[in-house]
Amino acid sequence: MSELALLLNQSVNALSQAALLFFLGVGLTLIFGIMRIINFAHGTLYMLGAFVGYSIVHATGSFWVALVLAPVVVGVLGLLFELFILRRLYQREAHAFLMVTFGLALVTGEAIRLIWGSDALQVPAPPALSGVIFLLDEPFPVYRLFLASSGIVVAIAIWQILERTRLGLLIRATSQNAEMVHALGVDVNLVRSGVFGIGCGLAALGGVLAAPLVTASHGMAATAVIDAFVIVIIGGMGSFLGSLIGAVLVAFVQVFGNYYYPDLALAFMYLVMLTVLIVRPGGLLGKEA
Amino acid sequence: MRPATVLGVLAIAALLVAPLVLPVFAMTLLTELVILGLFAMSLDLMVGYTRLISFGHVAAYGLGAYASGFFLLNTEMPLIVAVLAAAAMTGVLAIGIGWICTLATGVSFSMLTLAFAQLLYAIAFKWTSVTGGSDGLAGIPRRPGPFGFDLFSSKTGFYFLALGCLLGSYLLCRALVNSPFGAVLRGIRENEAKTLSLGYNTRLYKIAVVAVAYAFGALAGALYSPFAGFANTELLFWLLSGQVLIMVIVGGSGTLIGPILGAAFFMLLEHQLSSYTEAWALFFGLVFIAFVLFAPEGIWGLARSWFGRSQPAETKATGNPS
Amino acid sequence: MTLPAMAASIVTPGGARPLLALNGLTKRYGGLIAVNNVTMSVADGEVRAVIGPNGAGKTTLFHTITGVVKPTSGTVHFDGESITGLPAHTICQKGLSRTFQITSLFPQMSSRENIMLAAQARNPSRWLPWGGTGVFSRAREDADAVLEQLGLAPVAERPAGLLSHGDQRLLEVAMAMAQSPKVLLLDEPTQGLSVEETGQAVETLARFLAASRVTVLLVEHDMEVVFRLADKITVLHRGAVIADGTPDAVKANPSVQEAYLGGME
Repeated sequence: MSELALLLNQSVNALSQAALLFFLGVGLTLIFGIMRIINFAHGTLYMLGAFVGYSIVHATGSFWVALVLAPVVVGVLGLLFELFILRRLYQREAHAFLMVTFGLALVTGEAIRLIWGSDALQVPAPPALSGVIFLLDEPFPVYRLFLASSGIVVAIAIWQILERTRLGLLIRATSQNAEMVHALGVDVNLVRSGVFGIGCGLAALGGVLAAPLVTASHGMAATAVIDAFVIVIIGGMGSFLGSLIGAVLVAFVQVFGNYYYPDLALAFMYLVMLTVLIVRPGGLLGKEA
Repeated sequence: MRPATVLGVLAIAALLVAPLVLPVFAMTLLTELVILGLFAMSLDLMVGYTRLISFGHVAAYGLGAYASGFFLLNTEMPLIVAVLAAAAMTGVLAIGIGWICTLATGVSFSMLTLAFAQLLYAIAFKWTSVTGGSDGLAGIPRRPGPFGFDLFSSKTGFYFLALGCLLGSYLLCRALVNSPFGAVLRGIRENEAKTLSLGYNTRLYKIAVVAVAYAFGALAGALYSPFAGFANTELLFWLLSGQVLIMVIVGGSGTLIGPILGAAFFMLLEHQLSSYTEAWALFFGLVFIAFVLFAPEGIWGLARSWFGRSQPAETKATGNPS
Repeated sequence: MTLPAMAASIVTPGGARPLLALNGLTKRYGGLIAVNNVTMSVADGEVRAVIGPNGAGKTTLFHTITGVVKPTSGTVHFDGESITGLPAHTICQKGLSRTFQITSLFPQMSSRENIMLAAQARNPSRWLPWGGTGVFSRAREDADAVLEQLGLAPVAERPAGLLSHGDQRLLEVAMAMAQSPKVLLLDEPTQGLSVEETGQAVETLARFLAASRVTVLLVEHDMEVVFRLADKITVLHRGAVIADGTPDAVKANPSVQEAYLGGME
């Protein structure tokens, strides 16, 4: 492969990775923006999306159905969790939230192990998206191109929803001044539950999309939650645009780092995390109450 | 004499005579419980006394296990020396880990501890020459002690070694939390900003407690690998970090004893329920959530309230001024 | 001569070098100027009140002096030495103790333990990883003495979080005093106290200040308290000093009257 083609190929890889990371990160960012908490279960919900997607594909034979249904299922579960459990904690100290969402992560992880077993599961990409296409006489995997484009599409969609719709206005307003919104007669609790559900659904969407690429496995969760967390910090808590930039940044570092220094790939991730936390000292503390 | 002290004396007596009374398989479980209890107690120093929530304490355990395993396989170190050396080495390393993690606070701190544990997990897979990669280290011997002192190599002997480590560590930790240093930790737990404004360099204290907690956690791990005879990457998997955190909270954080009870509770549940259902770990997670929501002071904290103690073991939300 | 050196050598009427000297201290938050070019010096043993309408920047001024917040420009000198930009705990170690406008205590610890923790802070024993707090029985006696001085002896054992608001304010002052500071910064110590509690607190403080002759910087809203305790008054308005002098001089100052006192006699 020529140098240019190599670069292009890796860039496509990076963009597709960025898309996955974006789905992970934007959900966490939205949740943090509204609720000022880090949902530790986010990585596990990403993983759940992959496994639920697997089951739906096997039940219906259609990847596309799974793509739509899995996020909805997980989103609803997230909504219920917020409704029945997280709501009790708003008056409590911050670390209670952390521990309860951590508990959710563990319970969900175990549930996944019980339902789907301990092995990694193969989720086949739909025939339309497998294989390669040729650009500039070089092969590019179709699925990765699909991922990269869906990332762009969803990013634009979310952006438009946030900027142009009443729902988006509600979300932005609540993240800035929940009391004011409440005074205007809106049920803030409903907004919170809704956003939590949407955030979880987005994570699951990332999981379903990731599955054909990385297989649905149990190690996904821990890496995912760290990645999501780094993106949220880079982006600036609650900032949609920030999560986009963060996702792209992290993805490029991961992919190119992995290509040139495969042994140091993991170390890179933690280096990024450390740098971010040093440059923004106190990490989230500036935005937490 | 306070009820707690009486209980303590009885418990220690029971632990000391256990080998005479219990069958072999029960002794194995008891030894494992002692090790796990030490692991959980070490985390309490961070979580219960300083409110430093760590999701990566498995790093200490794994480091200790691999270190002692490595020493026992590749050097002539006697068992007890290898175990103590592994713990000490990890404690020193943990100064660096603590230095980095305390650059941040709150959730960011917790994430950094997780990241470190993940990093070590990855290194354990890659650094095959030292760690044996995904196979791990096997056939770890319990090398006889200096001057042919062979007491710890047998099952019973090893049990007493582990028990000795647990009791010794408990006494050291108890002294630590009751000391002026310990008072500062509690100050950091209740109001870090105030502690800082009183003139305490809170970051140094946090680094110190991380180092000590990791050292004791590593002691537990260092005991585990010769106990089991092997060390592998399962010892660094983040699930174990979660389980030990649960032991601390469910048992009762901020008490040193609570986490040991939590470990016992965990093992009891695992042993009893796993024969009925595969879902025991899930059940444990649900119990954890329930405790955080409704009984944050944990089992030991509840027990102490029932016996009318004036000091609650776990910090609830700030008390209300009238 | 450099500005800092000049500041350090300003001679106050009493002839002593100022213990605390602020020079051109400024704190900006984006477009907002919270502390505006404040220059003032406090002599050893003096009780200086800082007053001003709400939002005048008094608490931010305290934050910049004590290192909670880094000043945008300007300097702070303590006993001739620059402490500008040093971390909060280092500044406290040098001998400045403060209280907070919003009560900040250790709610689960008893009043006595709160004081012991405060007193221990400047003692090398604070690093000792053994010994129990009982070993330092002197620490306990000293804490009891401070509690006695402020009338808090009856609640020595009670968790700080369960004290009445008035007692909590006093406890916070007691903690600062227990550190044997050279300069005591009190941020609205009587805030939230009833008239009666305020009177008692003021008398206790006056007794303590007379006995110890510690230098005090006092932020207060209650003018009666100010006139009872202060040797000199500095008036802030929108972050800047608009008057500085003896209580009588300040009372008579027309711009102060306009901004704040509004015709008070």
